[in-house]
Amino acid sequence: MGSLSENARKWWRSHKQKTQQQTAPSHTPLQKQLADNEQRLRDLYANCSDVVFRSFRIGGTIRALAIYIDGLTNQEELERSVLSVLMQTKLPKDSPLTKLLDNLVPVTKSREMSTVEQCLEAIANGNPVLLIDQQERAIAFGLARWEKRQIEEPVAEGVVRGPREGFTESLHVNTALLRRQIKTPALKMEQMQIGGYTQTQVVLAYIEGIVDEDLVAEVRARLGRIEIDGVLESGYIEELIEDHPASPFPQILTTERPDVTCGNLLEGRIAILVDGTPFVLIAPTTLFSLLQSSEDYYQRSLASTTIRWLRYLFTAISFLLPSLYVALITFHHEMVPTSLLISMAASREAVPFPALVEALLMEITFEALREAGVRLPKQVGAAVSIVGALVIGQAAVQAGLVSAPMVIVVAITGIASFMIPHYIAGIAIRLLRFPMMFLAGSLGLLGIMLGIIVTVIHLSTIRSLGVPYLTPVGPIKVAEWKDTLVRAPWWMMNTRPHLTGDYQKIRQGANQKPGPKKGGDPA
Amino acid sequence: MLEQGKISSAQMGKMIFLAVIASAVTAVPSYSGKYAQNDLWLSPAWASLTGFLTVYAAIALNKLYPQKSVVEYSTDIIGTIPGKLFGLLILFFYIHMTGLIARGYAEFIIGNFLPQTPISIVIITMIAVCAYAVKAGVESIGRTAQLFFFFFMFPLILMPFLLRDMKPDFLFPMLEHGLLPSLKGALIPQGYFSEAFLMSFFLPFVTDRGKGMRSGMLTILGIALMLTCINLFILLVFGTQAADYLYPVMVAFRYISIADFFENLDSVVMTVWILGMFVKISIFYYATVLGTSQWLGLADYRPIVLPIGILIAALSFWSIPNLNQASRFDVISFPFYGPLMQTICPLLLLGLALLRKKGKQQSQAQMTMAPEQAHTHTEKQEG
Repeated sequence: MGSLSENARKWWRSHKQKTQQQTAPSHTPLQKQLADNEQRLRDLYANCSDVVFRSFRIGGTIRALAIYIDGLTNQEELERSVLSVLMQTKLPKDSPLTKLLDNLVPVTKSREMSTVEQCLEAIANGNPVLLIDQQERAIAFGLARWEKRQIEEPVAEGVVRGPREGFTESLHVNTALLRRQIKTPALKMEQMQIGGYTQTQVVLAYIEGIVDEDLVAEVRARLGRIEIDGVLESGYIEELIEDHPASPFPQILTTERPDVTCGNLLEGRIAILVDGTPFVLIAPTTLFSLLQSSEDYYQRSLASTTIRWLRYLFTAISFLLPSLYVALITFHHEMVPTSLLISMAASREAVPFPALVEALLMEITFEALREAGVRLPKQVGAAVSIVGALVIGQAAVQAGLVSAPMVIVVAITGIASFMIPHYIAGIAIRLLRFPMMFLAGSLGLLGIMLGIIVTVIHLSTIRSLGVPYLTPVGPIKVAEWKDTLVRAPWWMMNTRPHLTGDYQKIRQGANQKPGPKKGGDPA
Repeated sequence: MLEQGKISSAQMGKMIFLAVIASAVTAVPSYSGKYAQNDLWLSPAWASLTGFLTVYAAIALNKLYPQKSVVEYSTDIIGTIPGKLFGLLILFFYIHMTGLIARGYAEFIIGNFLPQTPISIVIITMIAVCAYAVKAGVESIGRTAQLFFFFFMFPLILMPFLLRDMKPDFLFPMLEHGLLPSLKGALIPQGYFSEAFLMSFFLPFVTDRGKGMRSGMLTILGIALMLTCINLFILLVFGTQAADYLYPVMVAFRYISIADFFENLDSVVMTVWILGMFVKISIFYYATVLGTSQWLGLADYRPIVLPIGILIAALSFWSIPNLNQASRFDVISFPFYGPLMQTICPLLLLGLALLRKKGKQQSQAQMTMAPEQAHTHTEKQEG
């Protein structure tokens, strides 16, 4: 094991050096002669048909070169406010670049650069770079613009009441969505680059003063540890920074919704935004936060509490129902009321399989149908649902393959697993359902209890960035029950949940319960 | 320290609560009823005296040696070799008890729910699950106990459904033969109460140890209340017949019928009871493993979790040939065996430790006094 990982590390080192040699040796300063710089960049961008080199003369005399990537840059704006302005101006030979920036070019975001690497980074991000003869510095203009998806309603997390905006693939749209909701300068967004080849921009967002500084430092350290060739989705980062990689339960929340992210930031959590994906990571998280929807906070508190309990119940059902059915049919007939037992026995009479096989068959079919439904093109999707209704339905019962109660059990389990608001949490429970069925088929209720005990021990062992996963029921934190066992009305949510270390406990003013007797006097 | 985790005193209280009550709850009404007849509901109150004494001993000893368990401070109190021997005795007691408890649990499951399953499977699966918990550490056991505590209380909610079958007449005549029968009935339950001494293994990990005494005493009170409550219910339902059943609580729950649909609720009680038994076996198992590694001076207790688990499984077969022998042991030996090791020995240790402390203080006082006297003496001379 040790030697293997050592080898992997060696490979990575040499690989990293190689890639760096391919792109550029570290920190090469720009030369005075334009031709030298041009040659260097042309070598680096050899065989890159999408990179455009445009030579021109400033005021008809000084040679200059603009470099940009086709499709990543706002070409019209570049032509209008950089090229045409500079071509028509008269410039003394040794005038400093700052004058050029200050007086001539009407572009708000522009930056001076002195090394080849900076130029490469700017070009890759879509900012055109201007090189001028006899200058050892270059200018990058903030004229990046590329085709991006519109802000749409998040697909995986729908709400009836609540904002309909979702994150997009573009990092800066996402940060802007956060900033539009949390306007304080205390909202910090630290940017870093991860990925040797992709150089993906990653933003660590938190609210200073609410968040625990040690938590931020820990996340920063974990992000800094990552050495990977590319980051294409936040899932890469999630797997590289989580506490218990072997656990089926997600220890980091992912969301597409800015309001969910803001709500968590306000509770002292941190968010990690990754360029190229609408899914934002939120940590630390607990089991209960995976069972909460943003809408819980927008509806009336009584309704939200009831729905939460319904959700908890159905989470338990989606975890246990098939195995309970198997245990009752196989071992504990006496627990089933007689009349129900008779009808169940009658419908099982023709079924050739033992209850465990029957349940496994149906559950696996259901999982396959669901996966097929997600992956297939929409036109074929309808066919899947028609066939699915045949496989898990009346036809299967009439064929004598499965019993009618089993079909109902599978259907209820399916509905139950759709009730879990965060898809990834649902996957963990779907996975654990299968070992539970085996336990139920071999040891009955005892097996189910042993399975539950093992699951609970596991859940009470894991932590998400130092926060026990079962907070607030194990360890008990009564002050946080107001947002887990119930959803207390907002005028009662006076304290923030305690995550790690120091935190700002008080969230809002006390005694805000409204009522007809409440006058203008705040006391 | 061997264990990095920390628990709260409330978690410890719940762990001890489940550890004592999980096995007591099934059999105590029957055992007490045998001797106390219709005064069996008084017995837990008498029995709890052992519990209070045990908790007092455990906490007083912990105050003297805050970071140590009984295996460690025994050498400090009675010297290295006798202390080590005593530690060995305690460890043998606990590993033996864990085996017995596992056997009792398995006999119960086989007898009531899975008659065709081999008993070894029932024992081995439970010990495997407990081994996982022990490996996960005291923190996980504490949290699990905290969570399962609520589920364990659930059957109490079902008890009012028995009101239809209860006859208050069974209570009378109260104290017909004086206090003696109820005291006799307390003899067996007090053995279970002595198990509260397990807290001596957990006290070093408790963060808010100031509340330890309060939490320990409340736990004993809670156990006494719950047992009284259950004994009372059983008495009201069965009368003096209670002693004729091996597991009267299970039989009582079989009586419950809600809306002619929810029947045979004993299975529900069994599932909940498994949770309690899991906590109980884990705690005994953990104490054995931790004590053994402390006794051997190991740096980590995790490597010996599995070997000791195998020993526990083996001991559950070696100690008792069948259910009758197990019951006989429970009635005849355990009421003396348990309190001897877990109440009387700790109390003796505590007495010795206090004497030793006093002696040390006196000698220290003499040491500090002596120069002072000399000083005053010289002053006087000068004066």
